[in-house]
Amino acid sequence: MDKRRFGSLYNDGWRLRFQMSRRLSVMMMTWEFPPRIVGGISPHVYHLSKSLAKNGVKVYVVTCDFPGAPEHEILDGVEVFRIDSYKNPSPDFATWVYLMNMNLQKEAATIANRVSGKVDIFHAHDWLVASAGVGLKHVFRKPLLVTVHSTEIGRRNGIHSDYQRMIHETESWLTYEAWKVICCSNYMISHVKWAFGLPEDKLTMIPNGVNTEESEKAKNTDLSPFRRKFALPEEKIILFVGRLVYEKGVHVLVSAIPKILEKVNAKFVIVGNGYMKEPLSNTVKSIGLAHKVIFTGFVDDETLRNLQACADVSVVPSLYEPFGIVAIEAMAAKSPVVVSDTGGLSEIVEHDKTGVKVYMNNPDSLAWGTNKVLLDENYAKSMSENAYKMVQEKYNWDKIAEQTKKVYESVLDDYAKSFWTNT
Amino acid sequence: MRVIIFSWEYPPRVVGKLADYVRELAVQLVKNEVRVYVVTYHDFLTGLYEEQEGPNTYRITNPVRTHIGVLTWVLTLNQEAERVASNIYYDVAKQIALIDVHDWHFIPAAVTLKKAFDLPFIYSIDSLEDHRAHSANSPFNMAIKSIEWLGMYEAKTILVKSEWMQDEAYRVYKVPIEKVKVVKPESRIWIKDVLEAYTMTGGGSVSK
Repeated sequence: MDKRRFGSLYNDGWRLRFQMSRRLSVMMMTWEFPPRIVGGISPHVYHLSKSLAKNGVKVYVVTCDFPGAPEHEILDGVEVFRIDSYKNPSPDFATWVYLMNMNLQKEAATIANRVSGKVDIFHAHDWLVASAGVGLKHVFRKPLLVTVHSTEIGRRNGIHSDYQRMIHETESWLTYEAWKVICCSNYMISHVKWAFGLPEDKLTMIPNGVNTEESEKAKNTDLSPFRRKFALPEEKIILFVGRLVYEKGVHVLVSAIPKILEKVNAKFVIVGNGYMKEPLSNTVKSIGLAHKVIFTGFVDDETLRNLQACADVSVVPSLYEPFGIVAIEAMAAKSPVVVSDTGGLSEIVEHDKTGVKVYMNNPDSLAWGTNKVLLDENYAKSMSENAYKMVQEKYNWDKIAEQTKKVYESVLDDYAKSFWTNT
Repeated sequence: MRVIIFSWEYPPRVVGKLADYVRELAVQLVKNEVRVYVVTYHDFLTGLYEEQEGPNTYRITNPVRTHIGVLTWVLTLNQEAERVASNIYYDVAKQIALIDVHDWHFIPAAVTLKKAFDLPFIYSIDSLEDHRAHSANSPFNMAIKSIEWLGMYEAKTILVKSEWMQDEAYRVYKVPIEKVKVVKPESRIWIKDVLEAYTMTGGGSVSK
């Protein structure tokens, strides 16, 4: 950066300089980005970056490689660099992560050097890019932001080994080094505050988003042939989407099946895989209700959107849920939702207005909520319409990008007052 | 000429013979009018230590306390080396000629700094993983070897202490022999050889 030429302007604040020279630019670091999809970070960073670019922010994404994906491309206005992430042999996953960070940081430093000081902010997603984020912050003397999507102490329900403690301390170090920490729900804000002892003013809540365009497509096609593959015309569809593991509470739904069927004729469609799939399908068989329940396993995105569009009710009976994107996706597809009153779900749903909240880990309560929705069409319709409006307003990626850009701007205001601007 | 020296051992932390070698090197460089900044590790004696007519020493500790092995330990420690070296770089108005990295531990930091600042580095080899763990090829050993390889590849100059090691660098990593200079510690002109390598790598004259 040519500080001598812009020296006086620089001290007047970065805004002025920006208006004169160029737009705000951010370098995102993430271990997954489409087409590489491991979990929720990949679609999150993709939609956020795309919407930021639409909002006038120059976005560089530095991420791990994927077979067939180009090393460098401009994707929906976002400049993406994919690095060789399997260069070094590694004894275990965590060591792979730190070695990948060494390579990612090497490439990111090359890119940032090449664009000569035009990266204003480094934005890291989870501990998987912690050391690269911290390193680049100090080397280029630019602010580091982190989005904490989940924590080791939350994923493991405590820290039980040195391996987990190392990851926990890495997360703590990353949040310590970050100028601001973004979380996707108030639940996560308080969790992260507790887990790493962070001050309140360092934390910002910006919700996760949902792409309503994809759900819109499903609604505009005739889904009755698709629906027939899953249920009889007179059967209601009750949809569950999630990994079939304990914390998702799918066993609570299975326990509620007889109670629900007492009052409505319905088909239960259970989407996802997990270690509970076999025991649960055995339970369903043993109580003679196998013809009422379909375990679909993992399905592709299109099938999922169509199922959500067909569903008469979507149930999310989780016991642990940091955010609950699946409830928002169902809302975007105009499916009424029944959720357990816990974690991020508690924040998303307003009882009787945008959905039904039921007691956590309670099959009777879940059956009551589900039947309430299925037996009263007007009630169901008004809720799904309210929910759809709410999702469009609150969980809209353009709005989220706007909020994120505001955080960038406020961090750059702080930065303008720091001695780092004079280096 | 200003140089940064990276070494994971330096007195009072002595693990092997490298600590005393790097100490002697730093002292001799200062005597020859080189401004020396040693960046090294110590668990608790952290921060800057300035000596009258001696090198400046920055001791760093690991920002992550719990580790599962020396590799993860080294890799997070590298971020502190990077942070401190960047601070030195900015404090002296970017007038650093080169980084001299002793053994593999701080190669990752040196590589990032090279890419970010176009700052060349010297890889000074004391020993190689191939000698420390004879023909071991577990993922752990291979990972260390891959870091050594990265150092060989990215370094502008490689310094070794014997002709035997020069041959070994070629045998193990196929480094072109012209890239590897021998500076024998037992030789009377040892520091002269080092200074010559520094000048060639960093450009300009020594006393600048």
